Amino acid sequence: MSSRLSEFLAGCRDEAPLQLGVVPFGMLYGIGALAAGMPPWLAQAASAVVFAGAAQLVIVQMLAAGAGALPIGLTAGLLNLRHVLYSVSMAEHVRHLPRRWRMLLAYLLTDEAYAVAILRYQSRPQPEAGPDNRHWYFLGCGFTLWSTWQLSTAAGLLFGATVPAEWDIDFAVPLTFIALLTLLMRERAGQAAALVAAVAALALAALPFRLGLVVAIVLGLLAGVMAAKRSRP
Amino acid sequence: MTTGALVGLLVTVGIVTFLYRYAMIGLFAGRRLPGWLHALCRHIAPASFAALTAGELFIHGGEVVLSLMAPKPWAALVAALVAWRTGSVLATIGVGMAALYCFKWLL
Repeated sequence: MSSRLSEFLAGCRDEAPLQLGVVPFGMLYGIGALAAGMPPWLAQAASAVVFAGAAQLVIVQMLAAGAGALPIGLTAGLLNLRHVLYSVSMAEHVRHLPRRWRMLLAYLLTDEAYAVAILRYQSRPQPEAGPDNRHWYFLGCGFTLWSTWQLSTAAGLLFGATVPAEWDIDFAVPLTFIALLTLLMRERAGQAAALVAAVAALALAALPFRLGLVVAIVLGLLAGVMAAKRSRP
Repeated sequence: MTTGALVGLLVTVGIVTFLYRYAMIGLFAGRRLPGWLHALCRHIAPASFAALTAGELFIHGGEVVLSLMAPKPWAALVAALVAWRTGSVLATIGVGMAALYCFKWLL
């Protein structure tokens, strides 16, 4: 077996266990998109065009709450800003690749693919002899995640159409946010960011188009930065 | 929102997200990220999820509704306790949904 193929398959294999967490997310997104009144074809296309789980869930949740395009776009844009950090971290490993490779890998650079691929780059140094095929491993990770995301979106769209509205199945979306929040709030800075953002979101609820949400997130960010500065010796 | 506006919104978010991901790999390869942006990025997730959750639980039709008789905030409280104790996303969703059905029946 060629070294490229074996690297690709190793990436697929190592990414596989994470799909247990991705499948419910993708299904939830599909179910939530239907509940928010999104046409199924568009919900499925968004999984390919946006390809960012948390942002897609946020878009669906805000649509259901009747938010306008500007606040939804700003919130999703803020939420996805973290991908710049992944891009920074990956840059040194993929710098030597041709542009088409870098564009493809950038498209596949999600939370879960990054988490697995960066470990490979950090734990296996560049081979001294022979070609460096670690980008095939990265491609395997990204391909696995991409396929699961598309299939679980489709499953959610099919399943969501059969669930009655009074089951409140879309409540699972804020429940997911709550679960992620508790994991993110172990640090003092995270607690400050979350608390200020939550209180500000309610205090600014009267702003039109749910713009209060965007302002609340920005205030939360600033609170997090200030708390991190204070707790540093 | 019309379907056309929604398509425009999703394509825009898709392009912006791709540019974020491609930024340091392609667009500004070899440059360093400013320190303030680095510091800001760490707090994006907790701030966003907290603001969204607070809105979902307490804002209805653009107004803040604080009621002891609303089932969703109580279900969310139960879910938060499960999340804090178990750290499991699946357990949080499962117990949270069950709690919502219980509170809807009770309240």
